[in-house]
Amino acid sequence: MTATDFAQELERHRSYLLRVAQLQLRDRDSAEDVVQETLLAALSGSGFSGKSSVRTWLTGILKHKIVDVIRRKQRDATPVAALAPEGSELDVDDFDALFREDGAWQTPPAAWGNPEESLQRREFFDVLDICLERLPAATARVFVMREVLELETDEICKELAITANNLWVILYRARVALRMCLEENWFASGGSPARPGHRT
Amino acid sequence: MSTILFRLIHFVTCREASELLSQSQDRPLSTRERLRLRFHLTICDACTRFSHQLAFLREAMRSYRS
Repeated sequence: MTATDFAQELERHRSYLLRVAQLQLRDRDSAEDVVQETLLAALSGSGFSGKSSVRTWLTGILKHKIVDVIRRKQRDATPVAALAPEGSELDVDDFDALFREDGAWQTPPAAWGNPEESLQRREFFDVLDICLERLPAATARVFVMREVLELETDEICKELAITANNLWVILYRARVALRMCLEENWFASGGSPARPGHRT
Repeated sequence: MSTILFRLIHFVTCREASELLSQSQDRPLSTRERLRLRFHLTICDACTRFSHQLAFLREAMRSYRS
């Protein structure tokens, strides 16, 4: 592969990296900067072993860059309060409405058929994207750190200066909200994007 | 069922079970928690579905990057 081919190959992943960075940082400029740095680092470095996919390798670099940005932000101003789930967009009343007083499901999770098939569908990931964007910003940020960047829980707690308990609650809320969003907007309509305003 | 075993299992609600299922993706559950959860799942279809769906969500997020 020539250097130009390699640069073009890297360029192909820009929009994906940007999506991840934006979910994480919630700021277009910082996201673009961090992706630019990632691609530059990838170009100059010879770290690519060919053992993993280019995308996985780039995600690894992006992860370190994002952690740097978060560290810098932590130093400037500590937005720990912003991370508390209280008062977030996914409001507590909604959350309590999920379970009856005796702790049973208000609306039990429905059967999803064979969800793995959805992983082959591009539209499924579009719906997943929309669902991620609907999460409160702080919740989405923590969820992406855990599930896309695959940071260990103790690393996240350290980076964000939150307790393990707080982290579990945030991740629980994120998963429950995403599960519900996918059910309403994908699985309930039999594995296709639900039409706006139309619920089955 | 012996009293000791019964006490050990102690019924958890769907709400508690769903929290434990989520936490099992982030930390190792204690033996007692695992036992309670497993018992709940044998009698609760809704939480069993929830459990599979959480596993699927993780898989979907990993595929998101590949």
